[in-house]
Amino acid sequence: MHPIIRLVNRNITISLNPGFLIWQIIFPLIYIFVAGFAYAPLINSVPLGARDLDYPAYLASGMIGFNIMNSTLVSGIIIWNDRRHGMFEQIMSGPFTRSHYILSNICTIGVIGLASATLIALVGYPVFFESVEFSLVTVPIIIFGAITGSILFGSLASIISTRLRSSEGFNVIINTVFLFFAFVSTAFYPAEGAPEPLRTAFYLNPLTYLVDVIRAGIFGGITEFVILEMLVLAGLAATLFVIASKLLTRLDF
Amino acid sequence: MSCIGASHLSKSYGSVRAVDDISLSVRPGQVFGFLGPNGAGKSTTIKMLTTLIPPSKGTLNILGIDAVADPLRVRHRIGVVLQQPSYEPTLSVEKSFDKYGMMWNVPKTERKKRTEQLISDFDLKHIRKKRNEDLSIGQRRRVQVAREFMHDMDLLFLDEPTVGLDPGARRKLLDYLKKKVETGLTIFYTTHILSEAEYLCDEIAIIDNGRIVTVDTPNALKNRFGNKKTIRIRLKEKRPDMQDMLSGISDCKIDFEGGTSITIHSEKSELVLLQVLKTLSNNSVEIEDLSAVPTNLEEIFLKVVREDAPDN
Repeated sequence: MHPIIRLVNRNITISLNPGFLIWQIIFPLIYIFVAGFAYAPLINSVPLGARDLDYPAYLASGMIGFNIMNSTLVSGIIIWNDRRHGMFEQIMSGPFTRSHYILSNICTIGVIGLASATLIALVGYPVFFESVEFSLVTVPIIIFGAITGSILFGSLASIISTRLRSSEGFNVIINTVFLFFAFVSTAFYPAEGAPEPLRTAFYLNPLTYLVDVIRAGIFGGITEFVILEMLVLAGLAATLFVIASKLLTRLDF
Repeated sequence: MSCIGASHLSKSYGSVRAVDDISLSVRPGQVFGFLGPNGAGKSTTIKMLTTLIPPSKGTLNILGIDAVADPLRVRHRIGVVLQQPSYEPTLSVEKSFDKYGMMWNVPKTERKKRTEQLISDFDLKHIRKKRNEDLSIGQRRRVQVAREFMHDMDLLFLDEPTVGLDPGARRKLLDYLKKKVETGLTIFYTTHILSEAEYLCDEIAIIDNGRIVTVDTPNALKNRFGNKKTIRIRLKEKRPDMQDMLSGISDCKIDFEGGTSITIHSEKSELVLLQVLKTLSNNSVEIEDLSAVPTNLEEIFLKVVREDAPDN
């Protein structure tokens, strides 16, 4: 078995604990079914391109991107835990290179991101069933979103984990950053209705791009702007991946 | 061919030289002890030998492989138990053994077999289902050392493996290691507990201030450095005039402890002892107990390190 596959196997085993599963499954479901239906009487419909979506459908599709982002926290947590509990040195003194370690983390978050996106898509399917417009590009676009989103947010979480040693610091920073990403984005509400400064802030947030791309894949409407968003996502993911890899390579013992 | 061949190895961090021009040769099937006070350069040396950090200067050959040019090949054939604890907090003991074996590409059936064997050899039955984060420091250390035997290796690096272990567990581990050495394993062993090194090691190097001060077998070290003997005498009654009484005896250093006991350190201990006994008898001093303290590694270690101190 290839060293990267062995490390991915190990990463998934140590990540799949009850706390993580609750975080990954229960929270998004609460958002979809509780917030989605509770807000539905207040928000009749949400404009998406040339059409209108009902709010639960809008929110459920947003939750796919949100969940991909959440799942990538795993990467930061794995690196941070490995450093804190001596496993980073242990792995590095075993039959692995740093490249194996970095790539295994990326593969882990890719796998978890895809599984998580699939799960929420399946659960959310009855909610936005009527509005789905399947086309040849639907699945590839969702996979593209899951992979670039995983790499982007996973790299970001990795960067944070390489810079911080204390658990308090790590938790505070990671929660603050991801809270900003979650709520200053189009995952929960559209940018159009928001005040101008907030609307600008929405588009400084990569989660907005990820969610827009996923919605375009699910509900149709791949415009030039969505293609631009895909390019931004890919570019940002590549840049952050390079930075994260460099920082991980420089981690000392 | 030596298992470890280090030649003029140095490691510098900026202007600080943590390891300064050390050379080592460890034969196959040997337990090589590596002793030194805190900050002497032990951990830096181990990190270089295990390829975790590259040396700033020198050549390093591990198991016939150039460790600087091809560290991954070296890592496939060594086992490492570092000083700092390493564990997967959320996994149970047996699961962490299994996953560790999987990381080393050990087949599943073999992993099962080895897990059972190690759980039995290291007395881990009662904690096999416990999560690593719920273990005591000593239990965690035992698990960490045991886990390393999930995979095959030719050379094992153990950096203070008995820290946190009770005396029983410590002795069991040392005996286990001795058995492994009989099967051909080579061990590079650092410890602060010198009786352990004496019990286990075939050869010992003492490092201080980043330099190797001496390398030899425990017995040869004792012969070389242990010429100064220590004799302890306890008196039946307190004699405040003891110091004056023995002041004329030369070639020795005598410590007086509370007027009831004296400790004599001398390179000519037999002659000095005769003189002391004669003086005590002439002054009607009754002896309750007399003992000669055998030279142990601890004294040699302290002596070597003291002699190497910059003041000397």
